Amino acid sequence: MPVSPFALIFIVIGVPALLGLTYIFVRGSAGLRRYILTRVALTVPMVFILASLVFFIMRVLPGDPVRSALGPKGSPETIQRIRTQLGLNDPLLVQYGRFLGGVVTFNFGNSLVGGHRPIVDEMSERFPATLELVVPASIVALLIGIYGGAYAASKRKRTMDYALRLYSVIIYSLPIFWLGLMLQLLFGVRLNVLPIAGRIDPVVGTTLKHVTNVYSIDALISGNWPALRSVALHLVLPTATLGLILSGVFVRLTRINVIETIQSDFIAAARARGIRERVLVYVHALKNAMIPVITLIGLQVAILLAGAVLTETVFSWPGMGSYLVERISGRDYTAVQSVITVFALFVALISLAVDIIYSLVDPRVRY
Amino acid sequence: MAIPQDTAPEQLPDATSWRDELADVGFVRRLLISRHWYGPDWWFVAISAVMVVGFITLAIIPQVFAPYPYDTLVGPRFLAPGARPDLPVLVVRSDSTAKELRDLAAPANAPRPTVGVLLGVPTAGALNQEAQKIDEQLKNGAEGLRLRPRIERFDTLKATLQALEDGQVEAVVVRQLEYEQIAGQFSGLRQGQPITGDTATAGGFLLGTNEIGQDVFSRLIWGTRIALIIGFSASIVALVLGVPLGLFAGYSSGPVDRLLSLVMDSMYAFPGLILAIAITAVLGPSVLNVIVAIAVLYIPTYYRIVRGQTLAVKEELYVDAARSLGARSMEILRRYIFPNVIPSVAIIFSVNIADAILTGAGLSFLGLGLPPTIADWGIDLARGQRFIQTAWWMITFPGLAIMLVVLAFSMMGEGLTEIFNPKLRER
Repeated sequence: MPVSPFALIFIVIGVPALLGLTYIFVRGSAGLRRYILTRVALTVPMVFILASLVFFIMRVLPGDPVRSALGPKGSPETIQRIRTQLGLNDPLLVQYGRFLGGVVTFNFGNSLVGGHRPIVDEMSERFPATLELVVPASIVALLIGIYGGAYAASKRKRTMDYALRLYSVIIYSLPIFWLGLMLQLLFGVRLNVLPIAGRIDPVVGTTLKHVTNVYSIDALISGNWPALRSVALHLVLPTATLGLILSGVFVRLTRINVIETIQSDFIAAARARGIRERVLVYVHALKNAMIPVITLIGLQVAILLAGAVLTETVFSWPGMGSYLVERISGRDYTAVQSVITVFALFVALISLAVDIIYSLVDPRVRY
Repeated sequence: MAIPQDTAPEQLPDATSWRDELADVGFVRRLLISRHWYGPDWWFVAISAVMVVGFITLAIIPQVFAPYPYDTLVGPRFLAPGARPDLPVLVVRSDSTAKELRDLAAPANAPRPTVGVLLGVPTAGALNQEAQKIDEQLKNGAEGLRLRPRIERFDTLKATLQALEDGQVEAVVVRQLEYEQIAGQFSGLRQGQPITGDTATAGGFLLGTNEIGQDVFSRLIWGTRIALIIGFSASIVALVLGVPLGLFAGYSSGPVDRLLSLVMDSMYAFPGLILAIAITAVLGPSVLNVIVAIAVLYIPTYYRIVRGQTLAVKEELYVDAARSLGARSMEILRRYIFPNVIPSVAIIFSVNIADAILTGAGLSFLGLGLPPTIADWGIDLARGQRFIQTAWWMITFPGLAIMLVVLAFSMMGEGLTEIFNPKLRER
């Protein structure tokens, strides 16, 4: 029996994170301990508020999920029966309690349409796909953003600086789905060198053993090189789309912070000691400039996820985003509500992680 | 070793020239003179302001700029930008006086004109239909003219044209582009008017046509309207709700402030598009619902900035002074605190419009926000995506339009930031 990908993700990411957190907590100073405790305590109401917001949007706003799921063929009796089955006829507060219980136990019920499978199962097939897109895209964005920003700062008020500033303004104004379409048009249609849809070639895909559902990892651990190649090729365009859109913000942030750091006294001192300008910018200044950038990475998670929804739609990428869009057009409100709640959890956890890392890097924030 | 370039002291603007001028000129001149003061940022704002005014003009009177209505089928399907539609055209001998089909009409008792067509090409059908239509009109006319051409069919285009040159037929109806390719071989012939189709569209379409024959360029112009409606309305609603909330929370800073801030911070951290997707999914597609969904997203943006500034300004000495003079809270908020937040609100408003337009386009690209009958860039992109293999123009231009509008508004915000916050200028 295959391991549930959620359990696997938890084992791969969650256990080391928990261990690290415990270590920091035990070995850290009292200030750090207090900071981490406050921060973790603040995450709980954030998740609670977001989950409640989602629930009330989906339940209080007008519209009957069962009627729209069944369509015109649902007789009033069937609708009533299914409503009772799903507990939609219970008082709102009871439903709310049940929903919150579901969030805590990760049991979102069954989907309203299709095979009526448990939503958690469906999501555990989709979530790894989103991870496989989002993680490389963030790496691309950070690489372009940090080095581009530092480079622009080192060439301040010269052509490359203006070029990179223009780049970040234009990137900000690009609709991400349009960038995806243009890349598809250029590399998929005109040059015909890269696939424009899906995660893997369907023929090669049949040979791949699904363990984690993160295809690149699956292909790696089973040593399936043709599959790995196909997965990598399919990843290029979606990753480039999402990564480029995110990189604009990072170029801008890094540039401002590096410029600010270059003007500080310790850089002047280092320069007086005869340290080369290149080392000065990319080692001394960049390291210190990264501290404020880290906090802002947390805020970019929102852009990242919204971008992922659109990127997945453009590239027919079977992740959480396209699942959400599919279920909305299928009027499966239970699934929609669950997907958005999982997104909220994801955002809350990432921003928690970023804040804790920040407090480790910069001792000044521990209060 | 590189030495920093910008160590030279900044040159002060010439104090006499523009300052003396500023004293006694009108508003517009003042704006123009201020470019000496603000430098490149002035140009940033000026250029983007011109673009914004241009887009607003397009949005108010698209019919003046768009050659066709956005929902009319005006041409053949999938016509590439600049390509001409292959209309059936009338060709006659050079010495003939006829220019269009109507000129072939003859008195009722005269012999009927012979018109040649090519076999296997639907020009004969077009000819018949068009001739009947003209004949109906002529029948009731006073001149007693009729138009009942005898149609003669030929196997090849060459044979058709040869027959015309030899005088075997009086005119031929052939496809325009095919005719033009071999027209050089026949010196004695002259091309008349296309017999069907709008003669205005014979020159083709600037940006091509889409999959049902609508003009891409016209839809682009009309699309400005809905983009700006969504951008402006959503931002205004968010401003009207977010600013007072922020003022109140920052000023009172009690438990209400803490609760509000928690809610607003949570919403701010959440991916806006996904929240908008949820709201529009429940409310259903309509312009109003999109505006509501997007407005809700941006309330926290205003709230956070206004609250932060209120907290800072509240501690100023002049606020204390006003309070000790007996000013009430409302008056302090209105006269001493609110003016301080106006610049930041103006900046956010401009950037917000850009964001709202992007989000709105994203929603309609997903098929969620707007009813499909509206001319909207996001909808056009979603339609074009299906034909990415054949019609590049359908997905290229709407995206460019979104980019330009968003660029105009965000550039304006950028320039305003630099002008309102001189401390940031050296960045």
